[in-house]
Amino acid sequence: MISNRFLVPLVVFVALVFFLYQGLFSDPRERDSQVLAQPMPIFSLPDLMDPSIIHTNDVFTGQVTLLNIWGVWCVTCAVELPYLTELSQQGVRFVGLYYDQDLDPDFGTKTLARVQQEVIETTNQLGNPFAFNIFDVYRDTSLDLGVTGAPETLLIDQQGVIRVHHIGDINPRVWEAKFAPLYNTLIAQGVGQ
Amino acid sequence: MKVVVACVLALLLSTGVMATQENYAFQTEQQRADFKRLTSELRCPMCQNQNIADSDAMIAHDMRRKVYQLITEGNGHDDVIDFMKQRYGDFVHYQPPVTNTTIWLWVLPFTVLFIGGWILIRRQPVDIDVSESGQARTSDQEALIAKAEAMLEKEK
Repeated sequence: MISNRFLVPLVVFVALVFFLYQGLFSDPRERDSQVLAQPMPIFSLPDLMDPSIIHTNDVFTGQVTLLNIWGVWCVTCAVELPYLTELSQQGVRFVGLYYDQDLDPDFGTKTLARVQQEVIETTNQLGNPFAFNIFDVYRDTSLDLGVTGAPETLLIDQQGVIRVHHIGDINPRVWEAKFAPLYNTLIAQGVGQ
Repeated sequence: MKVVVACVLALLLSTGVMATQENYAFQTEQQRADFKRLTSELRCPMCQNQNIADSDAMIAHDMRRKVYQLITEGNGHDDVIDFMKQRYGDFVHYQPPVTNTTIWLWVLPFTVLFIGGWILIRRQPVDIDVSESGQARTSDQEALIAKAEAMLEKEK
């Protein structure tokens, strides 16, 4: 029979080891998204290529959409573009929420034409998965979505409700694990209706 | 030498200048004070462990601009905090609320303190009679010293 004198410190020690061991694998950057299961925040933003077109929340109704927050300045976005293009060729609908790093809305000197040209160059080179790009000029919508950087991707269902919020790039592994099951279910529901 | 010192001082000062590149104009002193307080209380979600006043990340720029916008629109301190929390969660404020998870940060230290105190009080005192045991110890020591010396003698 082991006395409490040894048992108590042992239990405390094991608990501590367990706690710290878990800490080794926890990602301090991982945060719960605040927009999950929420409807897409209300927005009214111009199209990147043709600012006379104004996009509103209507663009998400009736279709399952992946909203990809990106910019040409973002290195990881360039990495995921070819794979996103591949997915879009399989029928996945991508909409871009474009935001520019160099374009400070208050003191900006960069022209829209320059931004458009950069986007065209990049998509010509790496592939263009986007049905269209929404230009988040003041980055207000990004802020409303709790975006911390690019790339981030949201899965939005037919009712315009955000179902997945993924921070970082989409690769085959992430797609299979995080998006595909729900995406396929939503598509199947849409067909059934 | 003076030039070197001046250069070093200029370098030291330049960091302060960096942090305040943006110039926001406020209508009242209260707004300016609110802005200063808020930007030091809000945590940058990208470059964690920096507040948005210090951070140069784009998201921090955007958040500062949003804070400015909200303040000049007449929102108070708590409104701005709520606005940010709605988007970035409790994480974004450096003063997290007490929830089921964070309660442990308050409970655990006091529990440990309490247990420690309890053990100290409960502990059986080993030496009751100081004079007696003190003597015992010295005689013990003397015995040991004698033994050690005997061993040393043997070694010789």
